[in-house]
Amino acid sequence: MGANSQTRWWAAGRVGYVVIDNPPMNVLSDVNRRGIREALEEFRGEVGAVVLTGAGDRAFCAGADLGEEKHLTEDTVGRFLSRGEQTFRILRDYEAPIVGAINGWAMGGGLVLALWCDVRVGSTRARLGAVGVKVGLMASNVQLSRLFPAGRARDLLLTGRTVEADEAHRIGLLSSVVAPERLMDEATAWAQDIAARPGNLVAAAKRAVNAALEPEPAR
Amino acid sequence: MRRIDVGGVAIVAIDGACVGHDFERALDADIRLADATATFGADGVADVEGCARRLTRLLGEARAKEIVLGGRPFDAAAALRLGVVTRVLPPGELGDAVTVLADTLAALPPLAVRAVREAVRATRDLTPDAGLALEHAHFTRLIASRDHKAAVEAFFERRTAVFTGE
Repeated sequence: MGANSQTRWWAAGRVGYVVIDNPPMNVLSDVNRRGIREALEEFRGEVGAVVLTGAGDRAFCAGADLGEEKHLTEDTVGRFLSRGEQTFRILRDYEAPIVGAINGWAMGGGLVLALWCDVRVGSTRARLGAVGVKVGLMASNVQLSRLFPAGRARDLLLTGRTVEADEAHRIGLLSSVVAPERLMDEATAWAQDIAARPGNLVAAAKRAVNAALEPEPAR
Repeated sequence: MRRIDVGGVAIVAIDGACVGHDFERALDADIRLADATATFGADGVADVEGCARRLTRLLGEARAKEIVLGGRPFDAAAALRLGVVTRVLPPGELGDAVTVLADTLAALPPLAVRAVREAVRATRDLTPDAGLALEHAHFTRLIASRDHKAAVEAFFERRTAVFTGE
């Protein structure tokens, strides 16, 4: 169990919980990224799955703070990107699967965070958008290109449009959709099912799926 | 079938039969919309292998084989399920939907649209690490663009940004 000013985390049985708590839109920051990393480090070996969500019911995570981001220069942007990537890689390489509980907006860097989760469940308030293009940038290009066939990825990335919960479910961006008050129970059920299976087999399956996305050698 | 280009992004609007050469042209576009009268079929395409490769990339292997090997014609609802199109409109509403989409694309910053389009194409052939490196290279270039700064300013001033492509 632990917390910092923008992140809370605890474990209940074999499931760990991490809440990004930076109201109103839970924008990403060094503080909550550090919170996510510390939580996962603390849970290591103790839990079989982790639920990641945002506080409140407006946003899962609205991405980078545009106010902070507008001060980036060519010199500092590299550090900004590598700090983000460091956190995303930890989610991807973490042995226990991460269940994203998408409680509201997940856009820009917040969508990137959601897509690095292994399974995503959402509330009916979930709204997802690859909005980078709308502000002249690019984000979640790699994950969307790998999670989805090119036709779907291109539609989402080129338009930056908002995907509502029911469409997200239909196209596989969310694995299930429930009423907002049931979201944590739903995410917990997925996490408990995962945690109930042998940890080494689950970890092997996660590694295998990650590796399967590598391009196949030419034949 | 109608095809329009907006800043290098090709949109096709499909009504009625979309087979043979039309089907190939539709697959070559970036975004495909249809109305409920649309029907599709891979029969009669000139470049069978190219069409198969393209469908596999667009839809994934299982769905591509359903179309190419199964060979059955399919309707608009099936096209939506398979991912051949991303939206199906009621008859008579396709033209308006395409106009709205074209306006949306035309209002986006051109450098970012072009970069996303190129990167999506390239990423399929890259390892995740190489894909991320490419994405970061684009991001680093784009964040210095005038249009990005204009977008952020407009966001804080709660108005619509105007982009120049610089």
